Amino acid sequence: MEVSCLELALEGERLCKVGDYRAGVSFFEAAIQVGTEDLQVLSAIYSQLGNAYFHLHDYTKALEFHRHDLTLTRTIGDFLGEAKASGNLGNTLKVLGRFDEAVVCCQRHLDIARDINDKVGQARALYNFGNVYHAKGKSICWSGAEPGDFPEEVMMALRKAAEYYEANLVIVKELGDRAAQGRTYGNLGNTHYLLGNFRKAVASHEQRLLIAKEFGDRSAERRAYCNLGNAYIFLGEFEVAAEHYKRTLQLARQLKDRAVEAQACYSLGNTYTLLQDYERAIDYHLKHLIIAQDLNDRIGEGRACWSLGNAYTALGNHDQAMHFAEKHLEICKETGDRSGELTARMNVSDLQMVLGLSYSTNSSTLSENKDVDYNMHGARPRMSRRHSMENLELMKLTPDKMNVRT
Amino acid sequence: PQEHQEEAKSSAVASSQIFHSDGGEMEPETMEIKSVSEYFTKMHMGSVMSRQRG
Repeated sequence: MEVSCLELALEGERLCKVGDYRAGVSFFEAAIQVGTEDLQVLSAIYSQLGNAYFHLHDYTKALEFHRHDLTLTRTIGDFLGEAKASGNLGNTLKVLGRFDEAVVCCQRHLDIARDINDKVGQARALYNFGNVYHAKGKSICWSGAEPGDFPEEVMMALRKAAEYYEANLVIVKELGDRAAQGRTYGNLGNTHYLLGNFRKAVASHEQRLLIAKEFGDRSAERRAYCNLGNAYIFLGEFEVAAEHYKRTLQLARQLKDRAVEAQACYSLGNTYTLLQDYERAIDYHLKHLIIAQDLNDRIGEGRACWSLGNAYTALGNHDQAMHFAEKHLEICKETGDRSGELTARMNVSDLQMVLGLSYSTNSSTLSENKDVDYNMHGARPRMSRRHSMENLELMKLTPDKMNVRT
Repeated sequence: PQEHQEEAKSSAVASSQIFHSDGGEMEPETMEIKSVSEYFTKMHMGSVMSRQRG
């Protein structure tokens, strides 16, 4: 007996609902092969195929099917269907970094929702709009600069994102949709964070946290704690940040998310470095290192070694510092991290000098190294460079809150 | 879990941004969902309603 397009599509739907997108895709594609006269059914298949590919991170394929859906819904004059297709297409284009096209799609989604007085649709379009501008802002010039100090183009995109999130909030509050409010507060908080509005970021993430607790959504709760920790770092409130990171760590462990657990340990390590509590910093960086090794995350491992090298140096334990500096160098070479490799080489050479000095009984060693600014830094020659590098990342985190030696 | 029920109309896509150095962890995207089964349920309901009216 022949299986109909509809039956195949229904099975695809069922499989996607349980999260088996691969199998779902096979059924939807088989359904298309069989074909159907019913264009609403075809639209639903295209749309779900697009979403399945989106979940599978195959965005080119997702784009293809959401495009098919958009063309089809336009052809048959299905406005609601067109609004949904536009929304999905916008999200996909955003992930692909095609922000200008994504904006056009979001606008279409919003326009149709307004035309048919669909409040839920309007809110969803506004949320997508915010996400597109947030991603656009981050894509222009992210690395190197610090929050609140991006080029004007970036700040403009981020301000637009905040406006769209605020507009969304008005509607979802009216609708009493707490889940949607939670999502928007989270992203609005991250937008304020990037804009350098850290107090506003805290206020938003506090709301996000409250709603996450209402729903018993521990993943969202963990995200909120982590984002709160980040904002408190920039406010210079390191102790408060540490408390939030500890809650993040607790939840990451409960959720058995090792990658997030590693990240929380790394954040805690950095926070205790800012607090100049190097023993605790080392404890957390070691925890981070172990997980990174377990997960075979060489980049994370390199970062841990670098942090450990710095913390041991700060404590004056140069043997351990050397061990980690060498390991850092080895990993940077392996991962092709050129700037990391340069940093590691300088650290190794600095430490070689320190160790050479402390082990040497030959006074000529000292005289050979006279040009090093030894006197200025007492027992830790050329620490200035190390400290400035150690603080490179942290200084960016706390532009004027730091009082660590440089 | 409750939140997922609330989000029946959307689907959550996990954010890949774990590291705060990326500017904070984002909330999931909301995708619009179309469904063949819902469409047929509506069609069926529609025909029942029109029959009742007639």
